[in-house]
Amino acid sequence: MDFAAVQNDLVSLIGSLAFVGRPIQALLPALSLVLVATAVLPHLRRGLPHVLMAMALLLAVGEGALAWFHVRLYQLCAVLSPETGQITGRIAVPLWVESEKLYIWALIVAVMGVLLRRHREELLPGVAIAVAVLATAAALWARPFTEPLPQFFGQYSGYLQAMGSGIPQAALGAYQGMEGSRQYFYNSWYMWVHPPLLFLSYGAFTVSFVAAIWMIRTRFSAFEETAYRWARFGYLPLTTGMLLGFPWAILAWSGESWWWSGKVNMSIMMWFLYTAYLHGRLYLRRRGMWRWVAALAVLSFAVLVLTYVATYVVPGAHSYAFALPAEEVAAWTASC
Amino acid sequence: MDRELLKRNWDYGLTVATVALLGGIGVQSFVGTIYVWWAQRTTENWERLGYAGFVNTMNAIAAPQIVLLVVVMGLCVPKRLFSRRVLAAVSGAMLVVGLVAWLLTDSTVVGLTAYLSLAGLIQAAVVMLTVAGVRGPSYLTEGRLTKTGSGLLHLGFIVFAVVVVALQRSTFMLPVFWAATVLMVGGTALSFYADHFATRRLRARDV
Repeated sequence: MDFAAVQNDLVSLIGSLAFVGRPIQALLPALSLVLVATAVLPHLRRGLPHVLMAMALLLAVGEGALAWFHVRLYQLCAVLSPETGQITGRIAVPLWVESEKLYIWALIVAVMGVLLRRHREELLPGVAIAVAVLATAAALWARPFTEPLPQFFGQYSGYLQAMGSGIPQAALGAYQGMEGSRQYFYNSWYMWVHPPLLFLSYGAFTVSFVAAIWMIRTRFSAFEETAYRWARFGYLPLTTGMLLGFPWAILAWSGESWWWSGKVNMSIMMWFLYTAYLHGRLYLRRRGMWRWVAALAVLSFAVLVLTYVATYVVPGAHSYAFALPAEEVAAWTASC
Repeated sequence: MDRELLKRNWDYGLTVATVALLGGIGVQSFVGTIYVWWAQRTTENWERLGYAGFVNTMNAIAAPQIVLLVVVMGLCVPKRLFSRRVLAAVSGAMLVVGLVAWLLTDSTVVGLTAYLSLAGLIQAAVVMLTVAGVRGPSYLTEGRLTKTGSGLLHLGFIVFAVVVVALQRSTFMLPVFWAATVLMVGGTALSFYADHFATRRLRARDV
């Protein structure tokens, strides 16, 4: 395996992704502005479904480009053992990690907005604003096309440098770290099932939140029913996704108190709140109960957003908060 | 107060207790997360020096709430099957068995496992009776499929609680965990969507 050649191929691949994705990344905030304008201004409202459809298509095209990028990554990125000289496997980076998380969330909400039928006219502006916020944040903050997968590239380029350095200890250390990430993270079946289920639930909860706001605003019980339908649609993948995380966490984070890690902690709290919301709803006919149910629906979504943010700001086993910049990771691995 | 009203208030009380406990653990989680965020920003090397203490404190605060949650979950089980007097006797007996197991072995894990096992057995009977269409089990929901879903979901919760409480380091952990997952996911799907399918079938037949 020629490590320098792989490094060059990766640089060229990242350049190709940026070439294809830069226009999409620039178009997303622009289209988001149009989306918000059509959602907010009554005389433009008729165009809202079309703009939302255009946004969903743009996001889908971008997702296609990212999928191609991931296939090429799989073909290029292998892990070779310095002890045996054999390739232990290729790295299958999932499509919903690091800089791509917000993007997939935006795409899912956009598709749900396009498919939305019940109370479509009332809910569509709120859903459109949510899509606009997510798409703009994905384009301006996460930047999946121009700064793709910084953690992965930091670790993998560090591994390539260490393997090419000719220092056996550095090569072995980098190999062990990379192989661990390959087996327990990137190629783990869990990483291919747990996050998409959670993002599907996040999408449904976003629509449920918009309906809950309408319920509070209008006190019209039909909106409560709509909020409930979307919440129960989200609750199934949320529960399944979180359950599937349990045996993986026991195995991969053995010896760590992972349940108090910020992200895990907040996720459990979010699940508790949605469980409480769906349970509280059984007593909706009691006097004044709808206020509590509505408050729980809104609180649950607020905690969902905090749960997402916690990954980046609160340190712990399930966190990017202590992540080093790519150059530092590479320099550190090379200097080992 | 008539029997039906008492039963409804017992149901309501258990639901409020469940929601309050879930809320309590939720608030603790939130405060804990904010504390970690604040501590790692203000205290140098906090991860190395303070994290273990933080985990111990969080475990100590959460433990009684988790135990109470398990107890409340167990108390939710016999209400489906028994009327007022028998319900009080069965619930009391479950608590006594758990307490005796705890006192005899000096282990909270054994006490909770004994309590959960009894709850699991009763819940399994509830599910079987519901599937068989016997009138006995009472639910807040309507329709046999929806009731079966609710029964399976609660059985799944109990089995999952057994995994968390007693089986984390056991070789049985994975198979029992998968059984709990199937029960919970299948139960959730049935209790949320069974009425929808039933209505569709009915409509198709009507046409």
